[in-house]
Amino acid sequence: MATPETLVKPTTIVDSRGTMCPGPITDLFKAYRNSNIGDVIELLATDPAAKSDTQAWAKRSGNEILAIIDEKDHVRIQIRILRKGR
Amino acid sequence: MPQPTTNIVVVGGGTGGTLTANLLAKQLQDDIHAGKIRVYLVSGAKAHIFQPGYLQVAFKNQDPKEIIHDEETLVRREVQWIQQNADKIDLSSRTVALAPGESLRYDYLIIATGSVPNPAAIPGLKEASLNFHTSPEESRKIWNAIEQFNEGHVVVGISGVPHKCPPSPNEATFMIDNYFRERGIRDRVKITFLTPYPRPYPAEPMSKVVEPRFEKRGIEVVTFFNVESVNPTKREIYSLEGDSQTYDLLILVPPHRGADVITKSGIGDADGWIPTDKNTMKITGYENAYAIGDTTNIPVSKTGVTAHLEAIVAANNVVSSIRGTRKLYKYNGRINCPFEMDSGKASFVVGSYEKPVRQIQPSRIRYAMKKAFARFYWRTLSGRWDWLLKAYFGRTYQTERT
Repeated sequence: MATPETLVKPTTIVDSRGTMCPGPITDLFKAYRNSNIGDVIELLATDPAAKSDTQAWAKRSGNEILAIIDEKDHVRIQIRILRKGR
Repeated sequence: MPQPTTNIVVVGGGTGGTLTANLLAKQLQDDIHAGKIRVYLVSGAKAHIFQPGYLQVAFKNQDPKEIIHDEETLVRREVQWIQQNADKIDLSSRTVALAPGESLRYDYLIIATGSVPNPAAIPGLKEASLNFHTSPEESRKIWNAIEQFNEGHVVVGISGVPHKCPPSPNEATFMIDNYFRERGIRDRVKITFLTPYPRPYPAEPMSKVVEPRFEKRGIEVVTFFNVESVNPTKREIYSLEGDSQTYDLLILVPPHRGADVITKSGIGDADGWIPTDKNTMKITGYENAYAIGDTTNIPVSKTGVTAHLEAIVAANNVVSSIRGTRKLYKYNGRINCPFEMDSGKASFVVGSYEKPVRQIQPSRIRYAMKKAFARFYWRTLSGRWDWLLKAYFGRTYQTERT
């Protein structure tokens, strides 16, 4: 998994800081719907459920978590879209 | 020399817009009668619909007429109701264009144009799925369909995000389960709840209330299912995550977007939600323009109660500005969504910006409160009963000196 130094440049940044569950995962799903295979979505969130919800979703959907970085006051999660649709 | 008249324009005649106009008229009635202030309500909708009633029409055979009142009976006489929809809103020139060729200049603006169900956003959804979010007529189609349904697979759920009234997909599932039990054919009907979220209800504390009840009732839950498309011929639903489901009867909540006038006016984000300060309800970058209810991009549920509480804040801030009291009202993000579960029992989804949603078990008293509120709704729009709501809700805003 990436470190802060090796984070990739995201295709889309989703800033959900300040929103509570299900805000971050809702915002992630909106970005996922508009994404293409190979895109990297970066989710910024303050809600504690964002990390586990995103991990569970990525595992189930076959998308890749590239990085989960705990910043000072939020979490930064990078997801590479590997699977979308049939 | 006569003072110029102050024009306040409220756009949208749903819960938030009607209440805001009435609150302003109530608080400013002396100035309105003196000709110093005008309060306009711009809305082409002559019928005002109590939208939570859609569920009752769809799953309990309530007469659609019972959830509709004439807007005319709900608007205070001090309000000048312009019975047409806004065509375009220009925040820079402070004008609301009306079709055709007319416009209103405003000193203060409150936008309450709500959200629009958008089944067309998902290929096949409009053709394949019934829904209880678009109109009393569409809700009625669900009742007609379930009455004729004798066996098979019913799929209920959320097709995409965001959508208004977060508990409603779960409520619909409980109600349809109750309906088939009452008909004595539940063993012949498979019910599946479909959701893009990781659990039956998005906020975990309330999901812990829903989950065991779904399990006990034999309702299958399929999570992480963002509907990509539906094939009405094959009766198949496909998800962005690569999964699929079959159905015999499909009832999915469509994703929602902002109103057309917001998109046309170029004042919303990509989905048509207006960037708004989550506390003051002021539109970002504008001191004299507000957005409330579903219209905004703020991170709270899109519900009537939310619109009501935000209307109070916006109306008070307008009055405060006109009076020069330097008092700023700030909404605290309070939500209070009624949530019907077991037959005759209901819970509420309660939280705020500072207090996450907590677990509240369903009870008969809460069900009675939900029913009482449905009857009381029409009176709350007058703004004359806010003392009672205040007693119930407690603090829903803070004030500070500017």
